[in-house]
Amino acid sequence: MAEKIKILYLDDEIDNLTGFKASFRLDYQVFTAVNVPGAVDFLTKHPDIKVIFCDQRMPEKTGVEFFEEIRSTFPAPIRILITAYTDIDSVIGAINRGNIFRFIKKPWDPADIISAIDEANKFYHTNSVLTVKNEELRKAYAELDKFAYSVSHDIRGPLSGILGAINVARDIYDINEMKEMLFLMEKSLKKLDTYILSMHDYYSLQRGELRIAEVNFNQMAQELRDIYRMVADANNIKFIITVDQREPFRSDIVPLKLVLNNLLSNAFKYQNKATDDKRVELTMLVHRGMLNIEVKDTGIGILGNHIGEIFNLFYRASSQEAGSGFGLYNVKSALLKLNGQIEVNSALNRGTTFKVSIPTK
Amino acid sequence: MDLSFIVIDDTELDHFIAKKMIYHADKAFEVKPFYEALSALDYIKSEEALIKNNANTLILLDIYMPIMTGYEFLDAFESLDPVIQAKYYIVVLTSSHEPADMNRMTAYKSVKGILSKPLLAEDLSAIIVRMITEKGIELL
Repeated sequence: MAEKIKILYLDDEIDNLTGFKASFRLDYQVFTAVNVPGAVDFLTKHPDIKVIFCDQRMPEKTGVEFFEEIRSTFPAPIRILITAYTDIDSVIGAINRGNIFRFIKKPWDPADIISAIDEANKFYHTNSVLTVKNEELRKAYAELDKFAYSVSHDIRGPLSGILGAINVARDIYDINEMKEMLFLMEKSLKKLDTYILSMHDYYSLQRGELRIAEVNFNQMAQELRDIYRMVADANNIKFIITVDQREPFRSDIVPLKLVLNNLLSNAFKYQNKATDDKRVELTMLVHRGMLNIEVKDTGIGILGNHIGEIFNLFYRASSQEAGSGFGLYNVKSALLKLNGQIEVNSALNRGTTFKVSIPTK
Repeated sequence: MDLSFIVIDDTELDHFIAKKMIYHADKAFEVKPFYEALSALDYIKSEEALIKNNANTLILLDIYMPIMTGYEFLDAFESLDPVIQAKYYIVVLTSSHEPADMNRMTAYKSVKGILSKPLLAEDLSAIIVRMITEKGIELL
């Protein structure tokens, strides 16, 4: 076993504490307390104490009372009462109310203590695994709710638009009007397609393991230049990339690219149409094991009261372009996997700057 | 008195369809499109709208929109001067079939009807007829 199980023993008789410690200190990390404040002190300092033994008969309060009292503040440790047969009625009550896991009769037999710790440890682990799983489930349910809600709009919305257009087409005889409508139908379909692709990103981020390899940012810059050349030229946007990498950087390229592509496509998409000098500037610096990315645009900016919400799932702060409400949420999830940070600065109609920092693996 | 329309929706295709359907009812109807509920609200509050619109404007309102949702629009609308409110006849146009959404929409006293997307010519005509009857508007 890698680490000794931490146990706490509370008893008002020093002799009992000494005897207990002498018997079990080799196999477990034993903390002993002679009164309640001492025990609470240990529990506060060592939140990983897994088992608490407590004597039933103490001057200030009984062991049952002590357990009842700490149950809500320290719910994780498994509670075991040490008591003589004469106290049996109060013990039964305590077990039935769920305040103690089991009891050991006094004077104790070391074999009983060891088997009790063993069982308590198993129970402790099952409980903590359950707590984690429950938390994950709660989160998954909350997201599923959001999904079900968004599906009716983000998937059904474009589809009902296209159905409506087909309906309208029966009454259109002008070829130009028909072409205009086809163009709008295409736009709606592209939006739906983007939504489905982002949904795929979302799932792969939630499930996948990291695949770490060395990343060459000069090569990355060349790839990005190729990807965005078309959109930059078509919209008269200058795309300026600066790279400074003089040391190796290790990371998972898939979430890394997801972060870059989401930030860049937003920077290109949400340009301020009234500006002549349209720019997207990307800087990637690797220094002392840290990657610092900056994506700066001359775009429409984000209103102050929306900035706190842009990383939320399905949040959209603009109707200028077709957003799925996935992009920045996926960025945040990807950065969580890479232990990265992100901050945003924005001025309305002047532009937005995202700064990302990611440590090497 | 004639009738005019305001369409509030964030999707171009839905605007196109709504316009087609309105013209299908009558070519002469005026349609004012808004892609953001906030700018529609600003317009409704403007001097121009105050003078021009005489209790005969039908608003087709989408619900799921970024920045200001249809619900937020309705909240803001219902706090406007009753004189302004009386000029408009709001019909929600939505692709949602969620009972929770339906209940929420019908809870607004300013919502006079709910149409589901895709918008059909006969549904729109029925709404127009109802509005004309309720408001006692005479079409030219």
